[in-house]
Amino acid sequence: MAGGSVTECKEYLFKVLVIGELGVGKTSIIKRYVHQLFSQHYRATIGVDFALKVINWDSKTLVRLQLWDIAGQERFGNMTRVYYKEAVGAFVVFDVTRGSTFEAVAKWKHDLDSKVKLANGSPIPSVLLANKCDQKKDSSNNASLMDNFCKETGFLGWFETSAKENINVDEAARSLVEHILQNDKGLPYEESNGDRVRLEQDPATAESKSGCC
Amino acid sequence: MASDNLPSEFDVVILGTGLTESIIASACSRVGQKVLHIDRRNYYSSKWAGFNFNSLLSWIEEYKSQQGSQSTEDEAEWRKTLEDGEEVLPLSADDSFITNLEVSCYASLEAEEEVKENEEATETLSPAAPSPTEPEEETKGKGEGESSPDVTQETTTSGETQHTQEDGGCGVQEEGASQDAGQSEEIEQKEQQEDTTAGPPSSAKEVKKKKITYADLVKEGRRFNIDLVSKLIYSRGSLVDLLIQSKVSRYTEFKIVTRILTYRQGRVEQVPCSRADVFASKQLTMVEKRMLMKFLTFCLDFEQHPEEYQEVSDQPFWEFLQTKKLTENLQHFVLHSIAMVTKETCTEDGLKATQHFLRCLGRYGNTPFLFPLYGLGEIPQCFCRMSAVFGGIYCLRHSVQCLVVDKETNGCKAVIDTQGQRISCSHFVVEDSFVRQRWKNTEEGHISRAVLITDRSVLPADSDQQISLLTAPPLEPGGPAVHVVELCSSSMTCMPGTFLVHLTCSSKGTAREDLESLIAQMFYVPPSPGEELAEGDERSGRPTVMWAMYFNMLDISRMDGSNGFDLPSNVHVCTGPDVNLGCDYSVKLAEKIFRQLLPEEEFCPPAPDPEDIIYEGVAPQGEGSGFEENPKTEGSPLQSEADGLENHPESEKEAAEVEAPIQETPKEALKEDASPSEE
Ligand SMILES: Cc1cc2nc3c(=O)[nH]c(=O)nc-3n(C[C@H](O)[C@H](O)[C@H](O)COP(=O)(O)OP(=O)(O)OC[C@H]3O[C@@H](n4cnc5c(N)ncnc54)[C@H](O)[C@@H]3O)c2cc1C
Ligand SMILES: Nc1nc2c(ncn2[C@@H]2O[C@H](COP(=O)(O)OP(=O)(O)OP(=O)(O)O)[C@@H](O)[C@H]2O)c(=O)[nH]1
Ligand SMILES: [Mg+2]
Repeated sequence: MAGGSVTECKEYLFKVLVIGELGVGKTSIIKRYVHQLFSQHYRATIGVDFALKVINWDSKTLVRLQLWDIAGQERFGNMTRVYYKEAVGAFVVFDVTRGSTFEAVAKWKHDLDSKVKLANGSPIPSVLLANKCDQKKDSSNNASLMDNFCKETGFLGWFETSAKENINVDEAARSLVEHILQNDKGLPYEESNGDRVRLEQDPATAESKSGCC
Repeated sequence: MASDNLPSEFDVVILGTGLTESIIASACSRVGQKVLHIDRRNYYSSKWAGFNFNSLLSWIEEYKSQQGSQSTEDEAEWRKTLEDGEEVLPLSADDSFITNLEVSCYASLEAEEEVKENEEATETLSPAAPSPTEPEEETKGKGEGESSPDVTQETTTSGETQHTQEDGGCGVQEEGASQDAGQSEEIEQKEQQEDTTAGPPSSAKEVKKKKITYADLVKEGRRFNIDLVSKLIYSRGSLVDLLIQSKVSRYTEFKIVTRILTYRQGRVEQVPCSRADVFASKQLTMVEKRMLMKFLTFCLDFEQHPEEYQEVSDQPFWEFLQTKKLTENLQHFVLHSIAMVTKETCTEDGLKATQHFLRCLGRYGNTPFLFPLYGLGEIPQCFCRMSAVFGGIYCLRHSVQCLVVDKETNGCKAVIDTQGQRISCSHFVVEDSFVRQRWKNTEEGHISRAVLITDRSVLPADSDQQISLLTAPPLEPGGPAVHVVELCSSSMTCMPGTFLVHLTCSSKGTAREDLESLIAQMFYVPPSPGEELAEGDERSGRPTVMWAMYFNMLDISRMDGSNGFDLPSNVHVCTGPDVNLGCDYSVKLAEKIFRQLLPEEEFCPPAPDPEDIIYEGVAPQGEGSGFEENPKTEGSPLQSEADGLENHPESEKEAAEVEAPIQETPKEALKEDASPSEE
């Protein structure tokens, strides 16, 4: 970076969890946000555990957002620590057309807070998503109730979203990322984890394995 | 969260989430098998589990309360589902594999209030409420402020508690909770300080160091990750190969083991093993350096020089070393710290072990070993996650009470889970502790383990963020050699200001009998909690033990997979972990069992890379997002996904952050021309 005259761009990698009850639209929201896609019915999507969204946050900041879906299969028991490890933010999703999925939100939030914390010990920032708002029947507005709920349960805030109609998905993500960036000031990914090793196939190994030495 | 009923048909049912079982689970799911993976406990990794300090204390409690209690299952509904020609084979309800568990607390049990007062006094010296990401100057200032008052805060409250606990820990959990946030910040500060100031060696800092109390350990409990199994990962071993090949490596990061140490004549010394180390070593004479380099260079490709060793290849390696013009010092280094074998090991095996060690050097760092961030207990979970992503179904707190066996074929057709549900399967894979009563013979071994929390390194250095492997030769002839792994806080296994020390050996007696005397020699074990050494005591340079745990772990790795058990042929037993330092036994066993299950299938082929799916801004939709509706289902959805991804341009792949390993092949590291010129 020394002598870099043109851009001094900071790059961040954020792991964000997307959790909530069965069928509330977690995968749909990710697909909408990352791939600009929506579909009414899904085939089993197997072998994909997170999606990556690259955001040019501002002229000096590049954010790489890893959105981790829960493997539907983990729903019977706990998720592995691997899933929660080093997450810096979360979306908890419920389905506005099914009250039971809202009732489970507090449970998810509690589970989340018990499994992952920021380095300083505080809970990771999380945003509540009231999904499928395109299908909301009664227009009864209980915004203040929701505000209160968020305060009590420790959410930054909430958004009515629709993965189908592309309502508020970007807004919700922006609000979460903004918060994460605030938490994380001055700690770009590369620098904070300097001496950690990721395993990758190194070309030299492939060769030296086959012969000589 | 939802608790639906489990589906009742699977290809493979796996009980136990240890390393071998988890690798098998991911391997099977990966090739499209329907896998049910369950564990009786409420945590992952079985015997390989790692716990934070507080959950370890609860685990110990639970262990103790379970001693002796046997649950008796009722004859139940599921019996009705049995058909003619089927019989039932019960599994052990008692799957315990730990014995002789003992816990002792030596950290000060001092009351909270006094500490707090003291802290507040120092707190006022630092201007604003510090945030964890504060610039360096602030923290330095604070460090200095700390130095003044608090040397005498240690009071003697030790009388009030017996320090050797039968009830696990010191029961201070409640106290810990009542503490305010000040202390946690303080510790945060220390971490920063330690991370940023590489400069002055520990001595200067030690004076300022605040004494860590038992309550601190509890309060900062979540920063600990204490593994039941202590192993390291050879950088060219089968686990690294498997992690890379399967792409399970994406779920975890590693730290490099920074030092190899040896314990000899009451002294801890660093073993020089890379070329740079050898030449930087202060313990070796110039002549020794040359000798060692020559010998190690020979070991690297010893097969090319049969004349040097063939005649004595089945004689002891120890005797071979004595013929090799090595000083006694060097013989000791090579035998115990590089080959890590015993005096009885034959020359050929000794040479192979030395070669393996040398080949692993330099791939990622200056020693042959890696250690997973957050502890070894992460590794099985990485494989579980991969299995879940490929459709494996996970359920904890769930076990199998018995197998349904076809009398005629002697095959296992189904299992009955602990809810009484009948679940059919073509194969059943099980952790060894559930089938102990099915052994054909009773040859069982044990591993002796101790875990210590200490206040400083056994060999303080410029940077205290070291991960060290120390091999202590037997204290008396015939005794066990002990592997000691010392972990620092940046490995994410212990709180800043402490070290986590794992001791492991093959059992001769109980863990305490096997390890206590070595611990007493290398560490200071206070006679009562918080008791400090008198001025000038010969033990004053040693690390103080704050907390210790001893236990024995069952080791039936010699039973060699399923052959030692009287069980149906499609029941596969995962034995281990073994006592060796590496993980190779468990990885190889997993592959062997997988080949028995699915001889035609590839073992852990690479998973498609999520990083390859990058869409910037509003991207037009095209091929291969991996998420779109793919009409090709059943057949081989996995393959079609993978193919789609592989077609992605390379350039995108390169965008992924990859930290290249240090490229220095062992051969280069030990080139002949290694003259001591660089000194
Ligand atoms: C990270 C990840 C994300 C996934 N996202 C999706 C996804 O978005 N959509 C999808 O269909 N599959 C998804 N899957 C796969 C999904 O969990 C099932 O494996 C798949 O639907 C096949 O279901 P099944 O009935 O064979 O088995 P199971 O997984 O055993 O299904 C158990 C029960 O849940 C029901 N069920 C499963 N998935 C859904 C769902 N999405 N909505 C409502 N009920 C459901 C099943 O019908 C069944 O009754 C995902 C898997 C992973 C690993
Ligand atoms: N109308 C409407 N339907 C939606 C919306 N989001 C998701 N859906 C539908 O809800 C169903 C479930 O969505 P998913 O995205 O699979 O939900 P999920 O949370 O990933 O489900 P699991 O992974 O099984 O837990 C699908 O049929 C979607 O088409 C939305 O905003 N509006
Ligand atoms: Mg989904």
